[in-house]
Amino acid sequence: MTSGNLGLPKPEPLLRVSALSVDYDAAGGDAVRAVRNLDLEIAGGESVGVLGESGSGKSSLALALMRLLPKNARVASGSIEFHGQSVLGLSPARLRELRGGEVALISQEPALALNPVLSLGKQLADLLVAHAKLARQQVNVRCTEMLRHVGFTDPERILGAYPHELSGGQRQRVAIAQALICRPNLLIADEPLSALDVATQAEILDLLQRLKRDLGLAMLFITHNAGALASLADNIVVMREGETVARGPMGELQATRDDYVQGILFPEKSLANAAHTAPSIESCAPLLEVRGLSKRFVQKRMLSRKEFVVQSLDGIDLSLSAGSTVAVLGRSGSGKSTLARCIAGFETADAGEILLDGNLITTAEKNKGGVLPPVQMIFQDAATSLNPRFTAQQIVTEPLEIARWKTEAERTSRALKLMEEVGLDPDWALRLAGEFSGGQRQRLALARALAAEPKLLIMDEALSGLDMPLQAQMVRLLMDLQSRHGLTYLYISHDLNFISLFAQEVVVMDAGRIVERTTPEKLGQSVHPATRELVEAGERLHAPGVEAAV
Amino acid sequence: MIRYFARRAGHGFLMLFGVSILLFLLFQTAPGDFLSEIKMNSQISPETITMLRAQYGLDQPLPVRYWQWLKSSARGDFGYSFAYNTPASTLLWPRASNTLLLSVPALLISWLIAVPLGVLAAGWKGRWADRLFSGGTSALLALPDVLIALLALLVALKTGMFPVGGMTSINAQDQSTWAWLRDLGWHMLLPVAALVVGSLTIILRHVRASVIEVLESSYMRAAEGHGLPRFKLLFGYALPAAANPLISLFGLSVAMLLSVSLLIEVVMSWPGIGPLLLEAILARDLFVVIGAVMLSTVFLIAGNLLGDVLLYAFDPRIRRQA
Amino acid sequence: MKARLIKLARLVERSPQKAGVGGSLRPKLTSFTFTWALWFLLAVHLVIVLAGFIAPYSFETQEREHPYAPPTHLHFVDCARKFHFRPFVYVTKAAENGLNDYQQDCSRPAGIEFFPQGDRYTIFGMFSSTRHLFGVQTPANLFLMGTDGFGRDQFSRLLYGGQVSLFAGFVAAAFSTFTGLLLGGIAGMYGGRLDDAAMRFAEVFITIPWFYLLIAVRAFLPLQISPVTAFLLVVSVIGIVGWSRPARLVRGVILSARERNFVLAARGFGASNAYLLRRHLMPLTFRVLLTQMVVLIPQFILAEVILSFLGLGIGEPFPSWGNMLAQAQQYHVLVSYWWMLLPGLAPVPVFLAYHSLAETLQERIKSNI
Repeated sequence: MTSGNLGLPKPEPLLRVSALSVDYDAAGGDAVRAVRNLDLEIAGGESVGVLGESGSGKSSLALALMRLLPKNARVASGSIEFHGQSVLGLSPARLRELRGGEVALISQEPALALNPVLSLGKQLADLLVAHAKLARQQVNVRCTEMLRHVGFTDPERILGAYPHELSGGQRQRVAIAQALICRPNLLIADEPLSALDVATQAEILDLLQRLKRDLGLAMLFITHNAGALASLADNIVVMREGETVARGPMGELQATRDDYVQGILFPEKSLANAAHTAPSIESCAPLLEVRGLSKRFVQKRMLSRKEFVVQSLDGIDLSLSAGSTVAVLGRSGSGKSTLARCIAGFETADAGEILLDGNLITTAEKNKGGVLPPVQMIFQDAATSLNPRFTAQQIVTEPLEIARWKTEAERTSRALKLMEEVGLDPDWALRLAGEFSGGQRQRLALARALAAEPKLLIMDEALSGLDMPLQAQMVRLLMDLQSRHGLTYLYISHDLNFISLFAQEVVVMDAGRIVERTTPEKLGQSVHPATRELVEAGERLHAPGVEAAV
Repeated sequence: MIRYFARRAGHGFLMLFGVSILLFLLFQTAPGDFLSEIKMNSQISPETITMLRAQYGLDQPLPVRYWQWLKSSARGDFGYSFAYNTPASTLLWPRASNTLLLSVPALLISWLIAVPLGVLAAGWKGRWADRLFSGGTSALLALPDVLIALLALLVALKTGMFPVGGMTSINAQDQSTWAWLRDLGWHMLLPVAALVVGSLTIILRHVRASVIEVLESSYMRAAEGHGLPRFKLLFGYALPAAANPLISLFGLSVAMLLSVSLLIEVVMSWPGIGPLLLEAILARDLFVVIGAVMLSTVFLIAGNLLGDVLLYAFDPRIRRQA
Repeated sequence: MKARLIKLARLVERSPQKAGVGGSLRPKLTSFTFTWALWFLLAVHLVIVLAGFIAPYSFETQEREHPYAPPTHLHFVDCARKFHFRPFVYVTKAAENGLNDYQQDCSRPAGIEFFPQGDRYTIFGMFSSTRHLFGVQTPANLFLMGTDGFGRDQFSRLLYGGQVSLFAGFVAAAFSTFTGLLLGGIAGMYGGRLDDAAMRFAEVFITIPWFYLLIAVRAFLPLQISPVTAFLLVVSVIGIVGWSRPARLVRGVILSARERNFVLAARGFGASNAYLLRRHLMPLTFRVLLTQMVVLIPQFILAEVILSFLGLGIGEPFPSWGNMLAQAQQYHVLVSYWWMLLPGLAPVPVFLAYHSLAETLQERIKSNI
């Protein structure tokens, strides 16, 4: 988008960041440098993507640009210039004009960006009132127009609605409308897609592309998902731990040799490397058999006659062979989590039966001693599945302690061995769970599950909260453990691409029923609507140059 | 919408029943006959006591007594006062309105001061003004209400500018309505001021805390990021979002105010429910005691209902649920 | 504590992935005011326990010649402008005008003595002695805070009164917290009908304005009782009346903790309710309870003061800050004898200390969970 070729002088860039460094205050008085010496330029109408894992400093960059850093952070050095004017030196009044009027920010959690007690129309109108001197009539017209622009067919209803009445995707649209209503020149989008589910992510991406085209909007798009940038960004900057490690258009970056950049751009490849050979299915007798499982939830309000009935599971039949890895795929609300909880014994089904190795599974009862439950579950949110005040050792030995397995000394030594197996330093056995990072906590949960010597391990979106590189590590680990201990995995997810590399068989659920059973390779050819929806959404989020294994 | 309020009102009514039952149960389980202490009062003859005992079924089982009290209340009497020989209600009603006369203005004034000041204080967080504010409110908070009441009396005595306790001057009846109102207002000044001082700090701190919590949420940061002016941010965005916890606080503040008013009324000789209750206790006037406690509970429930109304008006999420 | 912080720092350095910048920020765990408040409270309680020793007089000793005497002046320089190292007082005599004016007699100084003999007292009902920390020989008087209408030393009574007020508040708070723990814990753990019933019951208590309930409960109990019974009664009444807030709190914590994934996971391993309570839930509630108790103690001290003030608590001749303050209700006392208001100021530093403890504890809880 530069006019350099025509021999005209290059126009002043819209945004110029030079040698920017951002520091955070940490306990103990030292400062943590979140952004180091960053240079960045955005020309009018250009969109630049910032790619990096969490902790790479990209959010700090966004906040610093708008001078919205929290109280314990500050710009340590460098300059930020917008239209040639220094942002850091602006007066409060001028800063207010800048924010929203010339630069706007949308962030990760659309639900949390909107005030829950004010109507959406008011939240839009207030911005116009603050930045432009418009008559009331004109304000309404502009708001309606903007809402139409972001894709609402009934803007009048939205104006009078409140945030809790809309879905996540709709809220993000309103947030975008809010950001753009005063016609800023630059939109900063900080991970706008991560809190949304796959299909909605694709929709919002489309919207942003359209807006970029129609409004000539300059954009700074911050994300950890390379696929989203492929269609949107003219130039990309890759960040790692606060520093820039690469920059250039997508094509150039894809061709680099740098391992880290390759890892970020094509996370599936590292996943594919990790998931080398799935072990072949050994025995023919099924390990797990589910027959005709049904469950409904009834919600009743006190003193009211209305009841809400949700048929969470509707006659599920499923069987798993020992040593296999089966994935259960579906949109949120399809019943996959409920299925997992029933198999794990946390919930009792209304009808049907679950057999493990021929024995009936019932709800986990008080352990009468000595028996270790054969089915273990790993939850999505590692943070809440571990008591933050327990030490690592206590966590891993917990199942053994409950079952009163052998002596305490033996339990401890087994715990240390397990920790090593999952890749945790046994020296850290006495650290509190709260002190471990997210990935490490998931490993701890894994070690704990293994302590019970399970036959079946159910993972409910266990890896979705982790970054791609971490996911790759965990997959490697899981495959290792599977071949060593002969485990069977049941992995619940909504992320197609991840599953396709990890599982041997895929089961698709929709509205409480199993609608399809296939292999990952054949998934792309499926004709079932629910499956197609998931496949298409998955495709939209990936760079065209990358072959998704689908 | 009507259903929402009907539900809340019904709930309140149920609570009233529960309270009355609790009080009767307490009376039942208390050691010693309630009337045995009256026997020591030489002014009441043994015959009266036996008659009272029989008349009010005090020698009968609890459910019967409760039922009789219910009937009496339905009639509007709310039991009988031994000390004054009259239905309890004749004592309770005038006192009730006097208490309201103090509590309602104090409540309004406290909130009217606390809300804007609290919002502003929340905006000051981290600056020196905040330290000053916190220190000041802490000090005030630590002052016992008893002391505040006594100090108020002291002010009246020393300066002579205010009447020393009481609700009306001696010659009140002879004056015109306007003069009587002025006289009433003059008497109300100190007690209401004492009440406000006693309850303001707590409300203030809670307002500040609620608004601070709101200010730390992401939608406030987003709003700031959109360049809205500070005043609008505080009062147009933060305050409405904090309305929910604040309005819940309203009910609690009514409770607290009523409790403090008991003390102020006693110390400053304001003829409200407080002094009546105290007197009734010392005179062992059972039904007046129960009536007075029930009355204060009614005020509290009414205050909570008012809070529910306000909540409905201000929080769209409640409207949706209702 | 420090060791853990060092470990944490090492952890942050070593881990390949910092948990975003938010992870390296921890608020200061102990604040200056917290330690100050704690030490202050310990000191106050120590002084109160040793009231018999520290107070120059017993709480009943009446100096008939000196009703409503103002606080005794301490001097270092005598009428002849001579400086003495040891502080001293002058013997005072009531003036003839009958207005409770007292004049100092320059010819009769009396030095302050340390460890003199005085009234007999007991500490904890076990240790008895007549030796006090400081005092003066008769006919001089050392009324640090003046005297009341019976000529009793207010300073000594303040210390003895502190015993009643502070410990009543403390014991009542412990009582109430314990009851709340029991009932709230059961309600939260077993849920269902039991929970509903318990909560409705608690709600009834909360619906009545606090002081009204307190006074009503007190009202139904006998009025003429011995001081010891009175103390126990007051404590029990306050404690019982205040059970509902801790109960709801505990129930809330347990309910939310029950649904946490780590509890579910433990259940999945076959843990019994008892195990869950012991290993997971109780430690969580403990912190909340501690904070709750620190919040309740000042409230309950105030409750005792008010009850005694109204004549429904501890009675004569035993002092309590409340019944000492009650004397100031008389107009002539209020206007002329300012020192009679000092018992009302006595709780202030104690409350301040408890409040700052509570604030710090509450912040700690918020930043942890």
